[in-house]
Amino acid sequence: MRPENYQAVSQPPSHEFELNIGPNHPGIEGNYALKIKVEGDMVVAAKADAGYLHRGFEKLMEGRLWMQNIALVPRICVPDPAPMEICYALGVEALGGLQLPERAQWLRVMQLELSRLAAHLFYFGGVAATMGMYSNMFWGVADRDLILDLFEAFTGGRVYSMYNVPGGVRRELPDDFLGRLGALLDYLESRLPDYDRLFFSNYVMLQRTRGTGSMTQQQALEWGVTGPNLRACGLAFDVRRDDPYLVYDQLEFDVPTETAGDALSRILVRRNELLQSIRILRQVAAQLPHVAGPVRCPIPNPLAWNIPPGESYTRVESSKGELAYYCVSSGGDMPWRVHVRGPSQMHAVQVLENLAVGARLEDVAQIIFSLDACPPEVDR
Amino acid sequence: MKTGKQLVNWLDTVLREFEGVQLRHSGRTRLRVDVGADALPALLELLQGLGSYVHLSAISCVDWIDDDEFELVYHVWSYELLSLVSAHIRIAREPGTYLSIYDLYKPAAFFERDIHEMFGVFFEGSPDMEKFILTEWDGPPPMRKEFDTRKFVHDTFGWQDYNPQWLQALKDRGGGIVK
Amino acid sequence: MADISYKSRGSILNPLRSLSFLTRKPVTLPLEPRAASANYRGFHLNDWEKCIGCSTCQKICDNEAITMIHIPELPADPVKGVRAERPAIDYGRCCWCGLCVDVCPTASLSLSREYIHICNDDELDSYFILPDPNGMHELHFEHGWQKTADSDLVDLKRQAMPVQAADERLQTFAEFTAGYDDQQALVEASRCVQCGMCHDACPAHMHAPDYIRAIWEQDLEEAVRQIYRTNPFAHVCGRICTRRCETACSIGVRGEPVAIRWLKRYAMDALGHDRVKALVAGMQGDSISGRRVAIIGAGPAGLTAAFDLAQQGHRVTVYEALPEPGGMMRYGIPAYRLPHARIDDDIDVIRSTGVEIQCNVRIGETLDMTQLQDENDAVLLAIGLQFGRSTRIKGADHHGVRSAVELLRSIGLQRDLPVPHAIVVIGGGNTPWTLPAAWHACSAGNMAVSM
Repeated sequence: MRPENYQAVSQPPSHEFELNIGPNHPGIEGNYALKIKVEGDMVVAAKADAGYLHRGFEKLMEGRLWMQNIALVPRICVPDPAPMEICYALGVEALGGLQLPERAQWLRVMQLELSRLAAHLFYFGGVAATMGMYSNMFWGVADRDLILDLFEAFTGGRVYSMYNVPGGVRRELPDDFLGRLGALLDYLESRLPDYDRLFFSNYVMLQRTRGTGSMTQQQALEWGVTGPNLRACGLAFDVRRDDPYLVYDQLEFDVPTETAGDALSRILVRRNELLQSIRILRQVAAQLPHVAGPVRCPIPNPLAWNIPPGESYTRVESSKGELAYYCVSSGGDMPWRVHVRGPSQMHAVQVLENLAVGARLEDVAQIIFSLDACPPEVDR
Repeated sequence: MKTGKQLVNWLDTVLREFEGVQLRHSGRTRLRVDVGADALPALLELLQGLGSYVHLSAISCVDWIDDDEFELVYHVWSYELLSLVSAHIRIAREPGTYLSIYDLYKPAAFFERDIHEMFGVFFEGSPDMEKFILTEWDGPPPMRKEFDTRKFVHDTFGWQDYNPQWLQALKDRGGGIVK
Repeated sequence: MADISYKSRGSILNPLRSLSFLTRKPVTLPLEPRAASANYRGFHLNDWEKCIGCSTCQKICDNEAITMIHIPELPADPVKGVRAERPAIDYGRCCWCGLCVDVCPTASLSLSREYIHICNDDELDSYFILPDPNGMHELHFEHGWQKTADSDLVDLKRQAMPVQAADERLQTFAEFTAGYDDQQALVEASRCVQCGMCHDACPAHMHAPDYIRAIWEQDLEEAVRQIYRTNPFAHVCGRICTRRCETACSIGVRGEPVAIRWLKRYAMDALGHDRVKALVAGMQGDSISGRRVAIIGAGPAGLTAAFDLAQQGHRVTVYEALPEPGGMMRYGIPAYRLPHARIDDDIDVIRSTGVEIQCNVRIGETLDMTQLQDENDAVLLAIGLQFGRSTRIKGADHHGVRSAVELLRSIGLQRDLPVPHAIVVIGGGNTPWTLPAAWHACSAGNMAVSM
């Protein structure tokens, strides 16, 4: 909202006070605003205000070649860019009938799980910060940085890796990479007791998050909640297991759930997912040396690449929920339509507005962050 | 819970009750359904009730400007049957209105609002048709194919050229920007 | 790892356990910028020796960050396919995706491990850089993201042209290359990066990038239209041209050049003679200039001139001494390289534009030069070179020593040729190979050839 567009309006006297949370707020994972009306410190109404991160990606993608779009898609979700790239690549592969080589599938699973680890560490840091526990925030971001070092080693980019192309991935792994991955997983597992002591079994955290922003499973299903937020309400739905893609059907992992549907459940579900991701990564690291082959199938010259007409709806499980891409081709060298369905489109808007009502003012930031509402996905 | 094959048979039988419907399966979990625009709410209600397709994954809008139509695609997912049904309808570009399915699926509110501000399609019965992302935009709906983003940029913004020292020196020697 | 249960009470004293950190060694990171990984996508480096200025990087950049800059001191060689241009990059737009590196046909572009650039508002011009081998700040950082064999986005292999087996070739004068089919042509045309080096290198400046693109778009009419802008002998050139375009092709720097010549042949063959004629008729203007031109010699030069003049509305008559038009094309090149039917097709198209060709007319015998000069506004001599060069070796005037040009003409005229049991050929270029091959074929393999 630009200052020049805001007209101050004189309101009749009331007990309500309108407060803008955002767009610059430490409790929000990006640029996003929540306009709330408070009576005392109880929220009586909430309205989401988006658009600060709108870059027009869906329109931009219609004007660029299929290959050029790989540079645009990771930017749609900042904390967790790998699922965006991979979902787009899977969509184009489905449209173009490309056969993904096996090694590329394993490498993509590795990227997805590493990105999930990084996003969850960022999440722990963020949700702790909303409660004023800044040590944990620094820990979360610092440990995530080590994962970004790994991304830099094999993809060439720390956050926006731009490593996936339709047909596979762009480079082979460096020789020492799997050793470094194993070392990092060991390190993260050794850090988890520290996290537990400082955060997960911290009396203050447990008191503050238990019962905050709770929703029933019925409400969650009605509001279109997916991902860890839905698993925190008791429904064990995970796209990796129920609508499998890549090589997830060959991997062993559990789908952790909680039943209470409040902020604490959401945090605990993600903590357990962290452990599952480490488990998956160990399996991938063990399997990768035995999967030989190219990392990319043969693709035409990107400047002269027509994809036959058709459409595809591909879904992956990002760290925030069900991410889906609807790609339509009209037979040309540019997409006709790419629709990005980010999980936060449900969480950050409808769910948040409903959960914030009745919460206390100090809990609002916690509710936003515990839902892992990612504004770039909402705005695209 | 129905097995895969039973599911396919059951869905096909039930869905073929709709007039003019076209079905296309791809893989175990994907089904594409093309129906007339007036049959869609009944179709979705049927899927939701009988097949427990309670999750609306997305509503996508595609602008087929050469056909003078919008295509609306409703992707619904069943947690029990583990299958995704994409229901495709076409509506005329003018006047570009359709019914809202908010009373069937609450998540539709977001998608219908998004499609309204991006494509200009009005959904009757949707709880909120106010602008959400483009709150300070007063131009045409930008995702329509006739909106040319390059032209908009050229008309609205001023261009600024770089003039570093090396380029100056090159220009003095007879070189410079080719294209 | 113990599970944390939803109902746990936790302890308010738990964080105090973090006091154990006081006994642990602190993590210290140095203040200097950290060295980037070996694969890092940092600032650009460009090897000017390898770079040919093809501007493919400019085409793939999705942010339109690359501009080509003309640098006068650099060598420019249209024949080899080198331009005096190098890419400059706008770092305000670049997102360091590295697609430019992956697509670069010569592998001259790469990204270094440098990633820090600091400037204030007055120095924004520093964002526009001309990458060279030394790096943006001349700090000589190592290479980061480079092209590798498995990540190359250009296809270095050409579609193989199906060829008749050697033993079959001995028995016949039929064309021994089969030509591309639709799928091969599509794939081959897709290899082109539209750099335009072929256009610059072609002596006729044919619009090769345009017709290649049209073949890829499966618009054969457009392809033939682009071909006929400069060349009415596409059947001929599509088979026997020396391919200066392919020598200059950017893909040819590290791989096999795009088969520009075969694609020209494909477009003409696939469209079919009748549609080509109709297309060329459509390209012709309506103007009639009222002038007459006579051309002596129906060889490639004469007939091309006839075509061009007819396009401009002049009335052209071509006089040819030999029984059929074509010149060296028919009487110098054996039919298994260039079938006479294809020459006839090209000449038929030229005839259909209104050009009149009279054969078996020798100027000076059948017709007089002065007569031509009286009846026409201009007379063009396009008689070519009909005699071979002498080696000037003693004894070269022996009756057993024959010139290749004259022998090839005999084969072309389908005169009876005596077949000796052995010949010796002096010379190693195209003709010294062609002639004995043709003669050998005439002998059905019963002649010994020494070069």
